[in-house]
Amino acid sequence: MDQTRSPHLMKPEDFLQQLHPTPTQKCTIGCPILDRLLNGGIPCNSITELVAESGCGKTQISLQLLLSAQLPTSLGGLSGSSLYLFSESPFPIRRLVQLSSAFPTLNNPLEKILTHPLHSAHHLFDVLSELDSLLLSGEFSSDPPIKLLVIDSIAALFRYEFENNARDLKQRSGLFFRISSKLKEQARRFGLAVVVINQVVDVVDSSDGLRIGNWTYLYSSERKVCAALGLSWANCVNTRLFLTRHEERIGQEVIGDDHCVRTQTRRFIRVAFAPHLPDSYCEFVISREKVFGLER
Amino acid sequence: MELALLSMSAWEMLNEEESLGRITTSCSELDDILGGGISCKEVTEIGGVPGIGKTQLGIQLAVNVQIPMDYGGLQGKAIYIDTEGSFMVERALQIAEACFEDMREYHGFLKRDLQACQVNMQPKDFLENIFYFRVCSYTEQIAVVNYLEKFISEHKDVKVVIIDSVTFHFRQDFDDMALRTRLLGGMALKLMKLAKKFTLAVILLNQVTTKYTDGQYQLALALGDSWSHACTNRVILYWNCNERYAYIDKSPSVRSAAAPYSVTGRGIRSSVSNSKRVKMM
Repeated sequence: MDQTRSPHLMKPEDFLQQLHPTPTQKCTIGCPILDRLLNGGIPCNSITELVAESGCGKTQISLQLLLSAQLPTSLGGLSGSSLYLFSESPFPIRRLVQLSSAFPTLNNPLEKILTHPLHSAHHLFDVLSELDSLLLSGEFSSDPPIKLLVIDSIAALFRYEFENNARDLKQRSGLFFRISSKLKEQARRFGLAVVVINQVVDVVDSSDGLRIGNWTYLYSSERKVCAALGLSWANCVNTRLFLTRHEERIGQEVIGDDHCVRTQTRRFIRVAFAPHLPDSYCEFVISREKVFGLER
Repeated sequence: MELALLSMSAWEMLNEEESLGRITTSCSELDDILGGGISCKEVTEIGGVPGIGKTQLGIQLAVNVQIPMDYGGLQGKAIYIDTEGSFMVERALQIAEACFEDMREYHGFLKRDLQACQVNMQPKDFLENIFYFRVCSYTEQIAVVNYLEKFISEHKDVKVVIIDSVTFHFRQDFDDMALRTRLLGGMALKLMKLAKKFTLAVILLNQVTTKYTDGQYQLALALGDSWSHACTNRVILYWNCNERYAYIDKSPSVRSAAAPYSVTGRGIRSSVSNSKRVKMM
């Protein structure tokens, strides 16, 4: 943690860091199988993006992270509080309460989760710029200090402000880098694990699609999808994890004249790109109490 | 008097270049199209989409520069300037461990006298030889680049400077775009001088943008116009039919060619595909 890091007082030699042969600190996702996929969990000091269409489980996983971050570091947590910045819909408080029952050792976990609404991308930048004062003495100061930041969702923040023309897209792109740069600076300064949620867009059927990461597109709910916000934003995150869902046919029933196909929802989390992870995936399940991975 | 000191015969120049040494990428096909590896005394820009392996290649070079002379390496140290937070220690250790194992295997293969050249370096020693700077803004990045001359004169065994990535902090909008151009140009010049003065390799990892021309996506290096004069060599990393390829886009000494490579648990290695062939353009 480097709270004294002020651009005016630091000398170039201060940016030299000793490399210790210990892995980067991570925040457990709350399941050892999912943690194994991620080599320990969500890393601190960088941006991890969760991409998925609605209903895949990204909010569920984020909520579980808001809780697991509070676990002591000896159990894979960050011994910290969590901050949830959200741009859409009301906060899923009921679901959070349900998930918190899987963390019986936590004392008043809801008190250690701060939430704050975001109105626009510029608003996010302003909040990030003031994060130091907010964290140290303002609205976000808490005991223990905040160690996990979740932004839900980045795509929604950019949805209404920009038109689909070259000039607006260029401006939008400039803002991506501005936000990402500030976000990484603050993550580094306060040792935060940062999770940014992104949505998907349909891939127009083109054989010249641009491949970013371990594939060009994935199927989710029978749709060909890729992450929203394009190549520019992809350059702004360190790790991209993609969640998908599929309805799998598991049987057939005949009821009177009707043929009913029985299906099961299967969910997968896959690494699109990460500086420390190979191309790998894991199936996961969302139950009443937990989000957990399945052994292969 | 000064003129006499600076002039060199072409013969002397060739000798000097051949003795400069190159840093292996650990992929022989990639080394081949580079003319033997990454050359010292030059600035090489390497760009590609997220996930193509830029940081992987950066870390591999930071490790490989340390290979002892007895194993054909430069026995040097590395400066790694991380501007995006992509450098993960556990990954660097993984790559160092694999390099260490490869050296031990080579050692055993040659059955050399153990006393003459032992593999004294342990994987974690590789970490100590990487001078790691983490910068979070363009001002910090420029401050560190300006500081390098002093730092390297105090650490003469540094043989490679890697900036990962060089343009990230400059891709936001500047109130004064002319300032951005000047800053980038100034930085490029400094890096070129460093490469020449200290005979080291400068590796600039860069992001890419897409230009949609003639019905096709074309990859272009970010902020390309500010750099084109500063980089002696330019390599583009890209996907081709599920395989990773590197393409020499600019070089004074080798012709344009592409070669496949792969990113494995051990680091950068040759492609595992059967149809690996160096493609001449």
